[in-house]
Parts: sequence; structure tokens; C-alpha cells
Amino acid sequence: MATGPTTGTDGRPAAPTGTARRRLAMGALLVLAVGWSITGLEVTVDRLLGAPGDAWDIFRRMFPPAFAEAAERGVVGKVFESVHIAWIGTLIGALASLPLAFLAAGNVAPAWVRVPVRQLFNVIRAVPELILAMILIPITGLGPWAGALAIGVHSIGTLGKWATEAIEGIDEGPLEAVAATGGRWASSMRWGVLPQILPVVTSQWLFRFEINVRASAVLGMIGAGGVGSELVSQLVFRNFPAVGAVLLMTIVVVLAIDTVSAAVRRRIIRGAGRAPGDVVGGDRNAAVLVDLTGIGR
Amino acid sequence: MNGPTVAARPTRPRPGARTWVIVGVLITYTVFAGRQVGFDISTFWNVWSNPLWEKFWPVPWDWVLDWHNVLDPLLETFQIAVVATLVGCGLALPLAFIMSPLTSPNRLTMIVSRSVMNVVRAVPDLFWAKLLVTAVGIGAFAGSWALSVFSLAVMVKLFSETVDGADPRPLEAARATGGRHLPVIRTGVLPTVLPEYVAYGLYVFELNIRASVVLGLVGAGGIGRVIEAQRQYFRFDRVLGILLLVFVVVIVIEQVSVAVRKRLV
Repeated sequence: MATGPTTGTDGRPAAPTGTARRRLAMGALLVLAVGWSITGLEVTVDRLLGAPGDAWDIFRRMFPPAFAEAAERGVVGKVFESVHIAWIGTLIGALASLPLAFLAAGNVAPAWVRVPVRQLFNVIRAVPELILAMILIPITGLGPWAGALAIGVHSIGTLGKWATEAIEGIDEGPLEAVAATGGRWASSMRWGVLPQILPVVTSQWLFRFEINVRASAVLGMIGAGGVGSELVSQLVFRNFPAVGAVLLMTIVVVLAIDTVSAAVRRRIIRGAGRAPGDVVGGDRNAAVLVDLTGIGR
Repeated sequence: MNGPTVAARPTRPRPGARTWVIVGVLITYTVFAGRQVGFDISTFWNVWSNPLWEKFWPVPWDWVLDWHNVLDPLLETFQIAVVATLVGCGLALPLAFIMSPLTSPNRLTMIVSRSVMNVVRAVPDLFWAKLLVTAVGIGAFAGSWALSVFSLAVMVKLFSETVDGADPRPLEAARATGGRHLPVIRTGVLPTVLPEYVAYGLYVFELNIRASVVLGLVGAGGIGRVIEAQRQYFRFDRVLGILLLVFVVVIVIEQVSVAVRKRLV
């Protein structure tokens, strides 16, 4: 059957046909999309050329950062408040999502339970934390509790989805073993599934915690506690040295937490005898994708 | 050896002292953080009697599906995401090659670019938006800037890992022909990583659509601007309508992008 690649005169395989035309079409499509998009963005040559200068100007005015002033205003406490919010939020999300994940996994739950629970995860993931916080603030009042709850609820969506994937990836042997001893559904979940997924799920929680630290910093911007409010108020007063201090403190804490958490995750996963990069239910790319976004999926 | 014996049950491993210390520290921190945050369990049932809930219904669809009110800003969101994805991913391509040990021109540039990108990534996305709004003024222009930075940070990290994992043999072959640095990368690495590059680009586009929904809350244009305005008037019915619409748009884009990505990788 195989005829082998057609060869040209010089013995080189001929270039695949149609590629050039397709490339041209793709290029044209991209150019059109960008052209059309730019028309909507109030871009003028003037602004385009001025923007880097403006951004640089602000950046320059942040130095030297006014650490003393920021510390006096309690920014250090605010940064840690963001961490507390992220921690409590992650815990709420973790505790709520784990049981739900058992109801959403294809191999352990019947379809009539699975489908609605999965849709619930999807809907939750679609609502950003900021919007959740807006809705919660009238009940809880302005403050960190609104932020923690918003993060907790939003985390249920992603954590639930990841945990479901982890459950669906288990080895079915232990399930069969529990069934053979006459165990019920609950015991097969406890002894057949939970021990298998716990390391992966714990590292997913830590992962989400890293994302949530960034998210809780942002939540402060609408008054849901944490460092965001400081950034906003210093920017309003155009007190750029203080802005620089707030930013630097946030960056240091975020980087520190990322580093420690990544190390712990690696330790947990290695302890479970898996590949180091294998974090979210075996899909390394998914793990990396989520890692970076700060928004999460 | 006196006959078959019933094997004794193995003793259950007991957690060591270190485990107890870790558990203790975590519980203490949780209690402390809960206090700091103002943990209040009553919220879980008070939520249902929130006076806001009745403001969510019915959704005024004729208001939501209006060009001037919602669809135009939604289009703006889409435009911001397109521009930001292209700018961010475009800049990410050379940067990722600089950042990867396989293709970096030298060690110093690699370390410097890696550290800079780590710091860029540590700043939350809306902080960037707020800073750039202050710098270049309120509107979609600042939003597309902020999202470009954000896409760049995400894309560089994703794509440089792909470059790290690229097959070094074609690169070696290209080097063996005596090629210079750029042509070597162009012919030795780029073709092997290009499909993943496009796939990640599409993924970043999805993320950007989601992110640009909230950009407007800090004055960076798009649909978030409308959400923020309606929230201030407590028109949560309109907010809900917008959110549902965005949800549908995001799902459609996601489906298309997932289908394309499947074909690519």
C-alpha cells in the first residue's frame, strides 16, 4: 500500500501540498482579527507610543519603596491577612469539594448523581471570586470573611473537578477487594478509593492554596480583606513609593509561599511513588496550566 | 518449623512524632487564621435569607440582549482578549527560548529572564490592571495592556517547559551543520514545539476571556465595567443576566478551542 514519500529531482521529499495556502489563510485571518480588535480599543498611535513611557514613569516613581510608611500603616498585617483568607478559603473549598467529588466520578457514582454534581462544578467555576465576594459582602459585611467565603466557594469548582479526575484515574483492584469482603459503597470509598487519591488530592489543595493567595490579594480591592485595599488606596493618593512597598511585600510573600508549597507538593507526590511532575490526576500539563493563571479553571 | 501457622496481623504503622507536630502546627494555624478572618459559621445559613437573592430574578433579557447595554462591551472584552493573547504570546515565543537551558544563548540571560518572569507572575493579574489603569488611563487600552502582561507570564512559563522537554537531537543535528544560534533554533527546535505553542495560545485565549470579565471592575474596560456599574445600583438581575451570557460565550469558545487543540497535539 505505502508508496513512500514522493521525491523531487534532488532526492528530497517534496513539501506537503496545500501548506502554503493554508498558512496564508491563517495569517490573513489573524491579521483581520487583530485589526478588527484594535478598532475597539481606543488605540491611537499617540497612546501606543506614550504607553510604555507612562508605565515606566510610574514604575520609576515607586523607587525607593517607602517601607517604613507602609509598615506604619499595617501593610505587613494586611499581607498576612491575605494569606489567612486564602488558607481558610482553601480549607472550606477542600472540605466541601472532597465528598462532592465522590458523587461526580464516573467509576463510583451513578449517572443521575454524577451529571448534576458536575454541572454544579462547572457553574461554580464560571463565577469569578470577585463577583461572589460582591454578593457575599451584604451578608457578611466588608471584611476578610467575605473574601474567605468567596474563595472557598469558588475553590469548590476547581478542587471538585480535579479530585473527580483523580478518582476516575484510580486502580480498580482495591474496589473489587472491598466488594469481595461484602463492603458497602461507603466502605469501598473509604478503604478502596480514599487511600489512593489522598496524596494527589492533598497536593491539589496546596496548589489551589497558592492560587488563592493571589486571588485573596485581589479581593481586597473590593473591600473583602487583605492587601488589595492598601494597593488601591495608595494608588488613589498617587503615593507611589508606598505602592512600591505594598507590591514588593506581596511579591515576596507570594514567592515564598509558592516555593514552600511546591516543595511540600513534590514531597507528597514522591512519597506516593509517582512521578514528580504528576500533580493533577496525572495530567501534568493541566497542573502547569493552572499553576500559572491565578484565575484557575 | 512446626506446621503452618496463621500469620500474625502486621501491626499498624503509628504516626511518628514529626507527624503530630505538623498536624498540631496546622491546626493551630487554622484556628488562628479562622479568628483573624472572622470565621462565622452562622453565615452558612444566613446566606439563604440574604435580602439580595430576590433582586436576582427575573432576568431582564431585553435589557441584557441589547447592543448598547451589554453586547458592545462584551465585544470589547473579546477584542481585548484577542489583542492581549497575540501580544502576550508573540513576546513569549522568543522569551521562552531565552529562558530554556536547551536554547538559551547564555546562562546569565537565562537566569535573569527567569527571575524577572517569576516576579511578573507573582503580581496578581488585577494588580497589573490597576497599575496600568493608573499609568495609561481608564479604558480598554489599559485592559489589553494588563492582559498582555498576564498572557506573557502564563505563556512563557507553559511554553518554556515545552521547550525544556523538546527533543535535543534535531537541535544537535542543526548545530553539527555549523548553523548559527538563531537558524539552529528555527530549524532544530521550533518545528517540534510549534503545535504545542498554538495549543497553549488557544488556552491562554480562553483564560483571557475569563479574566477580562473582571478587568472592568478596576476600570480596565470590557464587560466588567457594566457589571460594576449595575452592581453599584444593586441591579443584580442584570448582573446575573450578563454572567449567564458570559458563561455561554465562554463555553462556546472553550468547546471550539478544545476541539482545535485536540487536532493540534
